[in-house]
Amino acid sequence: MSGLKRDHQGNEKQKPHEGARKTVPVVRNEYTPMFEQFRNELDHHHERREKIVKASRDITALSKKIIFALQRVRKIQQDLPNDIKKDMEARLDQISKLLASIARETQGINRYRYSNNLSCMEELVEALTFAHYLRTQSLVSYDELSAEIESLAQRGATPEDDAVVKAQPDANMPEITPSESSQATAGTVEDPVVSITVQDYIYGVFDLTGEMMRFATTSTALTRSLATADGDDASARPRTILQDMQDLRSFVEMLPQSKGRSWTQKLQVLRQSVRKVELIGYGMVVRGGERAKGWVPDAEVDADPDE
Amino acid sequence: MAPSMIDPQIFDQLKSKLDEDTKVQKSLSEIIDQLETQIAYAQGLLSRIHGTPRAEYPALLQQVEVPIRKEIEHVGELSKLASNHPYYRYNYRWSHKVQDAISTVLLTAWIGGMATATSPGELGRLLTLEQVGDIFQVPVNLKDRDAFHITTEEYLLAVTNLTDELSRLAVNAVTLGDRELAVRISAFVKDIHAGFQLLNLKNDILRKRVDSVKYHVKKVEDVVYDLTLRNLIPVKEQSA
Repeated sequence: MSGLKRDHQGNEKQKPHEGARKTVPVVRNEYTPMFEQFRNELDHHHERREKIVKASRDITALSKKIIFALQRVRKIQQDLPNDIKKDMEARLDQISKLLASIARETQGINRYRYSNNLSCMEELVEALTFAHYLRTQSLVSYDELSAEIESLAQRGATPEDDAVVKAQPDANMPEITPSESSQATAGTVEDPVVSITVQDYIYGVFDLTGEMMRFATTSTALTRSLATADGDDASARPRTILQDMQDLRSFVEMLPQSKGRSWTQKLQVLRQSVRKVELIGYGMVVRGGERAKGWVPDAEVDADPDE
Repeated sequence: MAPSMIDPQIFDQLKSKLDEDTKVQKSLSEIIDQLETQIAYAQGLLSRIHGTPRAEYPALLQQVEVPIRKEIEHVGELSKLASNHPYYRYNYRWSHKVQDAISTVLLTAWIGGMATATSPGELGRLLTLEQVGDIFQVPVNLKDRDAFHITTEEYLLAVTNLTDELSRLAVNAVTLGDRELAVRISAFVKDIHAGFQLLNLKNDILRKRVDSVKYHVKKVEDVVYDLTLRNLIPVKEQSA
């Protein structure tokens, strides 16, 4: 009875699993019914988890593509370039379908149960906070972002715009969604949404700094100035991406610290990113950046401000 | 210079959420530590079965039921606190301890303890998940609402602890001259193993622990083999 699982070569262990069980009569004992019930229980759990894992993988990939697209932006501006906006919208549409497809599996008690399988939410937070930053040069709040993601999931559940579904390779998921959601809307029940947790938000913000660093590097190299939304006009010292990153660093450091491994790791990476951008800022000042050739720094100004 | 990138409210909100989390973690730790102490004590007492003849189990059971009552108390406190928060958010903190607590209760019941009005204590009794829930006075396998409960996985993992402990007991029972107990353990462990075979397991902790049950079976079978070889199996058990 103990040799059922694998043969000597170590293969064939899965197929006979199911097959053998159906053909070979199961010897029943007083605990058999109990275990059969547990089997159903566990099967449901595994099915839910697999569905979530699949969707999560796709959402992660799509979020990464949004981030790639956003990295092609050159300056902070209210209106993102059209092609990038379009690209992002299309991917968000796909994400919204995927979110809607797993909304039922992540309600109530199951939201945290499958937290580990929903790592896509962090990636999505990263993409959306980055987009928000590029538009407004500010950090989107947890509440705003939650609402944004929840409405994404709701949008995906409305059956009208089925056009984007075909772009998604796993046709088995959207296949259920429209019928389910039309029932839900017919019964005027709110479509279930996928929520983000505080942890998703914070870790997404950690990762945002990496994207900001990349953006600062390319945009500075190409425009010869540190990115800022304040434009050329105004104050003597516009707030640049360098200050923003420094702000973010102290923001995160002032929060109650978690002793978890990923927190420490992410904090470490954040610090490195900030330092990289600090070096860029330093380089701009020392080497002149956009200043005219032959410009010489006035050493007196910083050394002796009082005189 | 333009105002900061980060609205101070964002910071305040996050800080208060994280502070709240720290507070919960702290209170949980306190309860879990107390639970752990009682589990260790119960486990220590229970390990005396390996040197105690079956006739003296009742006295031992009386002693064991003292820390178990305390376990139940602490699980109750845990349930109260944990039910204020999403269950699976903190579940990883106590799941292991709750398994151990269930294990002590399962073993105690198997050797004849944990008698209740509806199910009298008798040797060889496996408490069901529902009975375990009744003993700890908490719900089991909750799906419709988000509150503290004992999960199917926790119960099943505890059952693997039970078969492990019984495979040790089989050996020691024979040493104490109680060959019939070894035979009963053998039948029980085989039944449980057959039950586990019905589950479709994924590559997770449950799979790993259930895989070890076959070694428990083997250990017990070896004992029975030795007895059979020497014609030492009690006759009345043979007829069954």
